[in-house]
Amino acid sequence: MRKKGYRLLAGLLCIGLLSGCGGNAGGNDGQGSGGDSAGKDTQNAQTGDSAAADLSNIYTGELEQNVTIRVLENDTAIEQGYFQELINAFNEAYAEYGIVAVDANMDQYSNLADDGPYGYGPDVLYQANDVLMKYVDGKHIYPIPVQDMECYAQIPERAWEAYRREIDGTTYYMAVPVNVQTSMLYYRKDLLPDDWETAWDDDGNGVPDMVESWSDMYRFSKLRMEENEGQYGYMRSMYDVYFSSSFLFSYGGYVFGNNNTDPSDLGFSAGDSWMGASVLLQQASLMNEGCIDDTITVNAYSKLADGTYFSTMTTPDVYTLFLKELILAYQGQGMSEEEARALAEENLIMTKVPMLPASADLTEENPELIPLKTMGGVNGYGISAYTKAPNACLAFVEFATSYDMIMRRCEMLGIAPARSDVASQRGGTSEMIYQSLEEGNVVLMPSITEVDQIWTPAQSFFSDLAKDAFREPGEQKYDDPDKLKAGLTQVDTQIYDAIFTLSGN
Amino acid sequence: MKSTKTLRVMDTVITHVILIAVCFVFLFPCLWLILASFSKSGSIYSFDGFFPSEYSLDTFKTLFTDTDMYNYPRWFRNTLFIASMSCLIGTFLVILTAYTMSRFQFRGRKTIMKTTLVLGMFPSFMGMIAVYIIMTQFGLINKMWGLILIYSSGAPMGYLTQKGFFDTIPGSIDEAARIDGATNFQVFLKINLPISMPIIVYTALTSFVFPWSDFILPKLLLKEKDLYTVAVGLMSLGETEFARFAAGSVFIAVPIVILYFCLMRFLVDGMTAGAVKG
Amino acid sequence: MKKKKIRTDGVTQLLLHGGKNVRASMCLMGLGQLLYGQIGKGLLYLFVLALAVFYFVQRGFADIAGLITLGTKEADTWLGIEGDNSVVMLLMGILSVIAALCLFVCYLSNVRDAYETQKICERGGKPASFREDLKQLLDKKFYKTVLFLPILGVCVFNILPIIFMIAIAFTNYGGTIVPPKLVDWVGGSNFVKLATLSQFSPTFLKILSWNIIWAILSTALNYFAGLGLALLLNKDCVKGKALWRAFPVLAYAVPGFITLLGFKFMFSYGGPVNQIITGMGHKAVGFLDIDAKWIARLIGLLVNAWISVPSIMLLATGLLSNRDASQMESAKIDGANAFQQFRHITLPFVLFSTTPVLISQFIGNFNNFGIFFFLRGGLYIDGYFLASDTDLLINWLYNLSINNNYYSIGATISLVIFVITSLISLSIYTGSASYREEDTFR
Repeated sequence: MRKKGYRLLAGLLCIGLLSGCGGNAGGNDGQGSGGDSAGKDTQNAQTGDSAAADLSNIYTGELEQNVTIRVLENDTAIEQGYFQELINAFNEAYAEYGIVAVDANMDQYSNLADDGPYGYGPDVLYQANDVLMKYVDGKHIYPIPVQDMECYAQIPERAWEAYRREIDGTTYYMAVPVNVQTSMLYYRKDLLPDDWETAWDDDGNGVPDMVESWSDMYRFSKLRMEENEGQYGYMRSMYDVYFSSSFLFSYGGYVFGNNNTDPSDLGFSAGDSWMGASVLLQQASLMNEGCIDDTITVNAYSKLADGTYFSTMTTPDVYTLFLKELILAYQGQGMSEEEARALAEENLIMTKVPMLPASADLTEENPELIPLKTMGGVNGYGISAYTKAPNACLAFVEFATSYDMIMRRCEMLGIAPARSDVASQRGGTSEMIYQSLEEGNVVLMPSITEVDQIWTPAQSFFSDLAKDAFREPGEQKYDDPDKLKAGLTQVDTQIYDAIFTLSGN
Repeated sequence: MKSTKTLRVMDTVITHVILIAVCFVFLFPCLWLILASFSKSGSIYSFDGFFPSEYSLDTFKTLFTDTDMYNYPRWFRNTLFIASMSCLIGTFLVILTAYTMSRFQFRGRKTIMKTTLVLGMFPSFMGMIAVYIIMTQFGLINKMWGLILIYSSGAPMGYLTQKGFFDTIPGSIDEAARIDGATNFQVFLKINLPISMPIIVYTALTSFVFPWSDFILPKLLLKEKDLYTVAVGLMSLGETEFARFAAGSVFIAVPIVILYFCLMRFLVDGMTAGAVKG
Repeated sequence: MKKKKIRTDGVTQLLLHGGKNVRASMCLMGLGQLLYGQIGKGLLYLFVLALAVFYFVQRGFADIAGLITLGTKEADTWLGIEGDNSVVMLLMGILSVIAALCLFVCYLSNVRDAYETQKICERGGKPASFREDLKQLLDKKFYKTVLFLPILGVCVFNILPIIFMIAIAFTNYGGTIVPPKLVDWVGGSNFVKLATLSQFSPTFLKILSWNIIWAILSTALNYFAGLGLALLLNKDCVKGKALWRAFPVLAYAVPGFITLLGFKFMFSYGGPVNQIITGMGHKAVGFLDIDAKWIARLIGLLVNAWISVPSIMLLATGLLSNRDASQMESAKIDGANAFQQFRHITLPFVLFSTTPVLISQFIGNFNNFGIFFFLRGGLYIDGYFLASDTDLLINWLYNLSINNNYYSIGATISLVIFVITSLISLSIYTGSASYREEDTFR
C-alpha cells in the first residue's frame, strides 16, 4: 500500500495481467478446494433462508485438526524476522490441534482473485484495505465475526470503517485492522539552524516551526536555497498521488463521494481543492526538477543522509531505510558504527506532518492554520474464501491481532498499530498516527474496486502541476485559480471516463 | 596519386572515428551498469556524476549470501533449468519444423506459412488470460515444466530463418541419398543435420536467450518465491536495492555474453544463411 | 490446422465407389482397417475413437453446452455455492470444439485410408502392414510425423488464446462483469460501441497514425543503422573486426527490460544525463516528462535502435560476406563509386534477402509494447482517451483492457488492429520475392 503509485507503476505489467483474469471465482470444476469444505459446512449449518448474516455456516467454531494454513505477510515483516516469530508462537500455541501456519511464500501484492479460485492462493492474507476490499465483490474473502474478537473494542471505529461493507442489508466486516499507514514528515535535526530555538520556535513549544507549519517550512526552504544553490528544504516527488492528494483533501477535495463509496461522484475538484494544488505549486517552486518524476522518491534516502535535503514526506515503514543511509553517511565522516548509529537515531526525526495555512498562501505572515489531511490506509488480516480451514484461519487472525503480537510487531517494525492499547503503551509516532486517525486527519483510501482507476489520471495531473513550476513564464498552464480548477475538473472527468464510459451495459 | 592516398587515410580516420563513437554508445550504458553493481554504497544517487564514488565487491557478496528475502542463487538455478530445457526442446522442434517446411511439398504448406506470419501479429498479452486459464486447467501453475512447455511450443512459430537456411542446401545431395535407399528421416539425420551446425547453434542461442530474460510468463505462472526466475526476482526487489539489481542484471548477462563470444562465428554464419532465403 | 476439407469430387467418389470395408470405416472408425487385416492401424483408430468418446462423455459435451450458455449458476463462496466460471467455460468450450474438429479430421482420414486400401486391393496389391505404415511416417509422410507436435503446441498455446480473445470481443466480459459474475454473449454490440463512442475515434486515429509513423521510422532506423554499421565494419581498412563487433553484441546480451529500466533512469531528472546537463550550468531537460512529446518519441526511437541494431548488424555482416564479389569487381571497373555500388548492388541484394526479416521487424515494432510502457508509462494526456501521446495501440489496449478492466472492448480493438495489420503484412509477404521465388537458390 505504501507508495501506491510507485507500486502500481512497477508492478503494472504483472499484477495487471493477472487481474486480467479478474477473479475467476468459484471454479466450476472443483479446483477451488476451499469451496468444497465450505459447501459441506453450508449443508450442515444453513437452513436455506437468508441466513447470510449468520456466519456460523462458515465458522463452525470447531477447529480443523492437522491442517496447514498458508499466510501471506508483507515483505518487511518477513525481512525483519517478525513473521517467523509470529508463526512460531502460533504453531506452539496450536500444536495440540496439529494446526501449522506457514509462509505462503508468494509476492506480497499477489491477487487473491486470480489465485484463490484455482487453489493457489494463501489462506490468510495481510494486505492493504483497498486491496482486501477489492476481493469482496467476487466474495473471494470471508467476512469475519469481529464483534466476538478480543481486539474489537480496542480498534477505533474509523479503522473498522475501512473494512465494513453492507451486502443485502447485512453489515459485514471483511478483515481485522492491524496497522495504520499514512504520511509522516522525516527531517534531520542537525540540519536545523543553530539558533532555531530562538529564531524558529515562535510558540516556544520546543518543536521547530518549520516542521509544524508548511508556511515556515516554505520560508526555511527558501533560506536554505539562498544559502547554497544545491541545498533544499522540503523535497517530495509530486506525481505521487498518495502524498500529493493530501493537500487537496485538506481544502475540501475527496476521492469518491458518499464517504468514498460512490464512484460516480468524483471529488478531486470539490470544495476549494484548487488551493491545495496551489500549495503544491508553491512547494515545487522551491524544489528542483526531480519533483516532476520519481527522482526524489528514490533518492530521498541518500540525499537526506548527505544533507542535500532537509526533510521529506513519506510513510513510517521506511524509517529503517533512512536510518541505514544516515548511518552510512556518518560512518563516511569517520565515525565508528556505534557512534554513527547513536547519532543517526538522535538526528533523524519522524514526526507528524505540518499544518497548512487556511489561505493556502505559504508566504502569508502568521496565517490561520488548518491540519493537513493525509491519505492513509489500514492494513489488516483477511481470510480467503478458498481456505479449507476457516476456523483455524480465524484462530490465526485472532492470535496475530492479540495485544502481545501487535506489541511485538510494533517493536520490531515500528508500525503504527490500529489497537489503541498498544498505541498508547508505545507512545511516540505510533500514538501520533493513531491520534490523527481518531481525529479524522487521515483520509483512508477508498475500499471500492474503482480506486484502481484514479491513480493514472491523478498522477498525470500532479506531474503536470509540478512541471508547471519549471515552465517559462507565459507558458505556464496553472498560473491562476481558474486554470487549477479546470485541471482538477479534468482529472475528475478522466477518472469518470475510465470508470464509466466503456462499461455502459 | 598523393591525393588518393590522403583520401584513403581520411577515409580510414573517419571510419574509425565513427566506429569509436558507435562502440562508445553501446559500451557506455553497459559499463555504467557493471560499475554500478560494484558500487559500495548501493544507492544510485551517491555517484560522482556517472560512476560510483567508491567500489567494493560487497554487492555481489550479498547477492549470493544474503538469500533470506532475495534468493538469487536459487533464481539463477531456476532460470538456468528453464532456459536450458526450453532451449533443448525448442531447438529440436524448430529445426525439424523448418526442415520439413523447406523440403516437403504438401497440401496446406503455404497456408501454414501464411498462418504463422499472421499469428505473430496478435498482441500477445491479450492472450495471456487464456494461457493462464489453460495452465490452471492443466494444473501447471507453479511448475517449471509448464513454463518450458509454453516456451517450447511457441518456438516453432519462428521457423522462417531456419527454413531459409535449409532452402540453401542443394536438394541434389538428398536425391543422391534417396536413390541409395535412405528414408527421409535418415536423409535428415545423416546428411542435413551435420552440415546445419551454424543454424542449430544460432537457434539454440536464441531459444536460450528468450526464456532467460523473459519475465511476463514466469510472473504469470510461477507464484511461489522459490520458483522465481532471475527476471521476476529482480523486478520484485525493493526500491532501494539498486546495487543488487545492477549486480543481478550484470550476472545474468555474463553467461550470454560468453556464449555469444564463443559462438560468434556460428552465429554470423547461421543468421546469414537463414536470412538469405528466409 | 489440420486439413478440414476433402475435395468434393473425392467425397462423391467415396460414396459411389466405396466398398463394404470403406462403409464399415464410415460406421465405425478403424473397422474397415480391421476387416482388411490391418490390425495395428485399426486398433489405433478405435483407440482414438474410444478416447474421444470418453472425453466427450466425461466433459466435452458439457463444455460445448457451456460455450453456448457461458454459465447459468453464479458462484457464492459464502454460501458454499460452486457456480459456473464463464471464462473457463468459454475457454474449455473452444477447446472442445477444436477437439471435435480434430475427431472429424481423424474420421475423414480413416475413411480415406480405407478407400486407399480398397484401391490398392482392387489393383491387386496387398493392404500395407502396420510396420510399413510406420516406415512411411519416417519417409514419405515424414512431414506428418514432424509437424504433429509443433502444430499441437501452436494450436493450444497460440491459436486457442487468439480464438479465445476473438470470442471475448463478442461478450460483455470486463468492468464489473468478471467471474464469479456470469458473462454473456452480446453479439456485435462492442463494435457498435466503438464506432459510436465520440471520445474514441479521435484517440484511435491519433494513436494509429503515430503507431504507423513509429513502426516505419523505427524499422527504417534499425535496419539502416544495422546495415550501415555492418558496411563500416566490412571495410578493408578496419582491423580486428571481431573486437569491434563485440561492443554491439554486449548490448544484445543485456535483457531488454533491464536495458529499458536503465535508460528510463538515465533520462530521468535525477539521471546521469541531466546531471551532466545541470553540471554544465544548463536547465535540466525533461526527456520523458509530460510535455516531452517529440523528445520522448525520439528517445524511444533511439533506445529501440540501441536494442535492435546489434542483431541486424550481425545479420547484415553475414549477408555482406555472401555478396557476389565478381559483381562488385566489375562495378568497380566500370567506375561506379562507393555510393553507386551500394545503391545498385548491395542494397537490392540485401533488401531481397531480408524481406521476411524486415516484415517481422515491422510487426515487432508495430506491436512494441515494452518501449513506452517502461520509458513513459502511467501517464494520460489531455486530448487522448486514457492514453498518452507516446502510447502505441498496444499500450492503449493495455490501458483499456488491463488497467481499466475492459477486456471485451480491448479484445474488440485488438481484433480490428489484428485484421488491419495482418492484411497489410500478408499482402506484402505474399507479394515479396522471397515468398514467391523461394526455390531460386536450389
